[in-house]
Amino acid sequence: MKRGWVLALVGANLVAIIALVFAYPHLMISPGSLIPAHAALAENCSSCHAPFRGVPPAKCVSCHAVADIGIRTTNGAAIADASSRPAFHQALITQACLSCHTEHPGASPATREPLFSHDLLNETMRNQCSSCHVPPVDALHADKSAKCATCHTQGGWKPATFDHDRFFPLIGPHKATCATCHTKSDFSTYTCFSCHEHEPGRVQAKHLEEGIRNIDNCVSCHRKGGAEGEGEEGNDD
Amino acid sequence: MKIRHAHILTREVLPFLASLLALVALALLFDALLHLLNAVWVGRYLGIPGVLLIVGSFGYSLRKRKLIHAGKPVDLLRLHERMAWAGSLLVLVHAGIHFNAILAWLAVWAMLINVASGLTGKFLLQRARRRLEAARDAMRRQGLSAEELEDSTYWDTLAFDVVKQWRAVHFPIALAFGVLALAHIAAVFWHWGWK
Repeated sequence: MKRGWVLALVGANLVAIIALVFAYPHLMISPGSLIPAHAALAENCSSCHAPFRGVPPAKCVSCHAVADIGIRTTNGAAIADASSRPAFHQALITQACLSCHTEHPGASPATREPLFSHDLLNETMRNQCSSCHVPPVDALHADKSAKCATCHTQGGWKPATFDHDRFFPLIGPHKATCATCHTKSDFSTYTCFSCHEHEPGRVQAKHLEEGIRNIDNCVSCHRKGGAEGEGEEGNDD
Repeated sequence: MKIRHAHILTREVLPFLASLLALVALALLFDALLHLLNAVWVGRYLGIPGVLLIVGSFGYSLRKRKLIHAGKPVDLLRLHERMAWAGSLLVLVHAGIHFNAILAWLAVWAMLINVASGLTGKFLLQRARRRLEAARDAMRRQGLSAEELEDSTYWDTLAFDVVKQWRAVHFPIALAFGVLALAHIAAVFWHWGWK
């Protein structure tokens, strides 16, 4: 009998808890508060969730028309600063809203499975990195014409790889530290005159014998670092 | 007297506490490891093997209530202890994903109370077992085989009053954990997008 009472008490508590799940789903089962813009939907899970299907994109686009995202609000009002953040949702090949959007910030980004893939974007948008990414403001990234894909992949900003051999092989006497050629941590330029072997006056005199006066860009001729130029013809302007 | 107290501490109390502390410490360690590897999201899926291990551990409960007849109760009990402990560890790491839902946390607390209760039961069983050592010796002298002896001692141990009382407490705790966990799983299945 005593055991029966214990079980009845436990059962009653469990029934009460289950009832609370239906009465206060935003507290009992929600993984965290909704973002302020969706706060009004907090107690109505089915606004976004469909049974056993999570949050189908169709639920999102029923309010957020893809053609308007980044251009107009859901109320139809024009977004004032639309030009500062280019509308790219229109370039999505498939609709997979949750790949990027977390509406319950309680489930912090660190706990989310990384679902975003650049493959969701069409090819044109996929290769316009600066549409979404702001390049770092440093000397290394100062050349805006450079292609990001030279060093970075769409899998992640890091690790970044740079194939130095494509531009100048670091072999033999040229196996030097970065700072020997790239002074002041500026990797967009280089100098060969940091080394006593390439004393400017002597190099200039030697090139003048061949009628070459412009010796600013050594690698344009000495692509592999050899004494004789292997690259394109020297500029003798 | 001092020797007896030291014996109880090292043979009974410390192993009990060590199991419980090891569970929490390992869960924290795995959680830290996932944070370090930037793979906290993996914890979300550890709930699945964790639950499967716990469900698998119920084989012993079914055997004990004679709902199934396969397996030796003693072996199933050991399996029950190990599977439930390992499953709880995975569920704890899963809980470390920092969800805010009250239901999920109630289920976790019920699980921890259940683990503590289970370890208490293990402790009580071992004590009862030791008290039966004398009787066991007597049976051995009667010429029972090792296997018959093991089974006989197991059922005799369960017959101890304190163990019976503990079982009366452990069942409602397990029931509460089961219902809360089931409700949490149902809520997740209902709202989550499985692909």
